[in-house]
Amino acid sequence: MAQVPIQTIHRDPQLFYWILLPITVVMILTGVLRHYVTVLLSTPPKKLDKKAMREQRALMHGIGLRTNYHVLSKRAFNIRRDALISAYESGAYLKAPENRGQAPPNPLSDPSSMDGMMGMMKNQMAMIIPNTLIMSWINAFFSGYVIMKLPFPLTIKFKSMLQAGVATRDMDPRWMSSISWYFLCIFGLQSVFNFLLGSDNAASQMAQQMNQMGGTQGPQMFGPGVDPDKQFLAEAENLAVIEHYSVLDDVEKRLLEGIKG
Amino acid sequence: MAPSLLHPPSHLSPSAALQLSQKAPAVLASSPATISNTPITSLFSAKESSDLWLRYENLLLSCLRTGDEQSANQCLERLVLRFGESNEKVMALKGLVKEADASHNGDLEKVLKEYEDILADNPTNIPITKRRIALLRSMGRIPEAVTALIQLLDFLPTDPEAWSELADLYLSQGMYPQAVYALEEVLVAAPNAWNMHARLGEVQYMAASSIGAVDATYQKYLAESLKRFARSIELCDDYLRGYYGLKLVTSKILTDSGKSPKEVKPTDLDDFVLPTQGIVEKLNEAATEKLSEIVRRYTAQEAHWKGYDKEEIAAAKELLAQDAPQTTR
Repeated sequence: MAQVPIQTIHRDPQLFYWILLPITVVMILTGVLRHYVTVLLSTPPKKLDKKAMREQRALMHGIGLRTNYHVLSKRAFNIRRDALISAYESGAYLKAPENRGQAPPNPLSDPSSMDGMMGMMKNQMAMIIPNTLIMSWINAFFSGYVIMKLPFPLTIKFKSMLQAGVATRDMDPRWMSSISWYFLCIFGLQSVFNFLLGSDNAASQMAQQMNQMGGTQGPQMFGPGVDPDKQFLAEAENLAVIEHYSVLDDVEKRLLEGIKG
Repeated sequence: MAPSLLHPPSHLSPSAALQLSQKAPAVLASSPATISNTPITSLFSAKESSDLWLRYENLLLSCLRTGDEQSANQCLERLVLRFGESNEKVMALKGLVKEADASHNGDLEKVLKEYEDILADNPTNIPITKRRIALLRSMGRIPEAVTALIQLLDFLPTDPEAWSELADLYLSQGMYPQAVYALEEVLVAAPNAWNMHARLGEVQYMAASSIGAVDATYQKYLAESLKRFARSIELCDDYLRGYYGLKLVTSKILTDSGKSPKEVKPTDLDDFVLPTQGIVEKLNEAATEKLSEIVRRYTAQEAHWKGYDKEEIAAAKELLAQDAPQTTR
């Protein structure tokens, strides 16, 4: 097989100033803008009223007791367990004891849960709108150019990623089109935003997507549509089945061995 | 060890607190009064960091303690500028400054009234609730403080700070079982806090000493106290308070068993039982040995052994000295 000659494409050096730089600058500016829009749109977390807080914390108290019961003596644990179980089962900690046994309200019709949904919607919008705009802007003005050559060789698989919008079969994958530069900017500007806006900025879309994936378990516990009465009953059951041991059993023997050893 | 402005200053000795608050003008001058939040200026000027606000808060506390009200007010102003009047923590700090300014009881009553007004508006303002309890306590109205704390703990049962304050209040009234209960709640929230284990051991030792007669409850308290001290040492090597307590408890158990050889049967299988005489003796020896090692190394100012409190070392020395004639005999 003959040596493939090194492809050379003569590009106008002005491409650098009129495509590469503008795209980068626009991307950075939109990132900064997105950060400030998110800050402006975000609503402060809603204050819990006393009863809702009491309900949540009472449940967390039970969970805390369930995880750390081993610091207590058996008698102390039993006192707490009995008190918590009877309170949980009688619904003493419920925010609205009269609603007990009814189906939880539909989260879509509950105004208090709408806030969370609205917040998510706003974040999504702040991400989708600028992306669509810039994408179409780049497609309209800069499509079809090869704008730079990467300084390292790549395999053929990268062609579809780097040469989007330039349909040439035999071109070396090192050549890059403007759309590809745009995608690289999306993924690669994180550190620039960190420098400009501080590390907890809302500019990067990657971070936001991560949050949406990882952050769903946390608030779900007290989220809308969850019946606290059922949670209390489940927790009472969890507490009831604990086989108690104490970390203080035989601690003096462990200590003596530890000192000797 | 030089005191740092990044840690709450409440445990510092008076001299260290004074040293901190004397640095106040320098600290206040070193950072600008307002922090701009725009990206262009933040590139060139000092970055806003959470450390800065922590520093202001701790400086404020030290300054109030040493009576430097001018600097304290400056710190407060900057915090208010940044976080606004309606921030809960800032509200509590403002109340604290007012309390410090108060010259007589009438002023304090006024501050208390303000707290109650705020709480009527927003009953879940935790910092203000806690300030109100602290103010009630410092005005000597202990029963009211206890009631308020219990109300707070009813809707916030996972707050170790409130539980330990309640324990302290009960202890000051000599209500040992209640104090023990509150301290156990602290441990449920923070299971590996060795200082709380040791504190619970101390309270149980006090409870046992207050009973006087050797009965089942007495033995239960002593047994658990011993185990608590042992656990605190297990969690933190070379913990002076733990060893001190361990030595106290084991000596007490040993003298008791000398006095009344008859074994008191535990009434309830749920309670801890005292370890055998041999183990108690060994623990006593180990504690004595370790205490004298700590005292020796601290006095010699060996590297890594300088962190102990002077007063605690003195107390340990005294305890060892009480023991000395017995061992030479």
